Amino acid sequence: MSLQKDPDHNEIKHLHKFVDSTDKRVLEIGCGEGRLTWQYAKDAHSVIAIDLDRDSLRVARVDRPSDLEKQIHFANANSEYLPFSKEKFDIAILAWSL
Amino acid sequence: MVHALEEIRRVLVPNGILIDLRPLADNWRVEVVSLREIKRTGRVEDLPEQTNGDLASNEAMKEVEKRSWFKREQDELFPFFYSWDTPSEMEEFVDDDWSDFVGMEEDTRRATRAAWAVADGDSRVRVRVEIWIARWRKMNTNLEL
Repeated sequence: MSLQKDPDHNEIKHLHKFVDSTDKRVLEIGCGEGRLTWQYAKDAHSVIAIDLDRDSLRVARVDRPSDLEKQIHFANANSEYLPFSKEKFDIAILAWSL
Repeated sequence: MVHALEEIRRVLVPNGILIDLRPLADNWRVEVVSLREIKRTGRVEDLPEQTNGDLASNEAMKEVEKRSWFKREQDELFPFFYSWDTPSEMEEFVDDDWSDFVGMEEDTRRATRAAWAVADGDSRVRVRVEIWIARWRKMNTNLEL
């Protein structure tokens, strides 16, 4: 399969234009297999990426770049009941998930 | 959806930022593209579930704005491309991965195959999806408490 998703990198360009995640605590909702996560997480303080789909999370954990292991944590969670204390994140990203 | 947004608001710091990034169902164009030209060959057909999903999302954001939970600061549309080497690979993907929410009519399939067959050697087939990105700021109000 020759599929290329977003070969022009428009998505990450726009995300960077709209928000600076440098040293920020980020919650990503609907991370899927981590396609977007890898692209912005490097500069963030920490990223917690959640998804309802366990298979996608399994792929994301396997594909997670080794240099991001300490920064990115994945969780199987529902956005209707976020298992976090209040005021824990600087940025929340609804990634194709609203 | 509104409850999820309430949860997001709860876990965000004061003045925290919410980014809403999502594809819009309307008008996903199919194109054959080379360095020399872009030829539009049709569009992906939206299924009602997808269009209704967009409407529900927009309504949810309107509601949280009305409740003064978030304030919209910036928004924009941009293109996101799914690109394949050949029309048959595109069709296989559409049929296998997108069949739950979009479809592709035979006219569009035929037009894409025909355009690709006579196109330049570097041609690829792509679907152009419109992505909506918006930045919302958490408002510090106790109105809902």
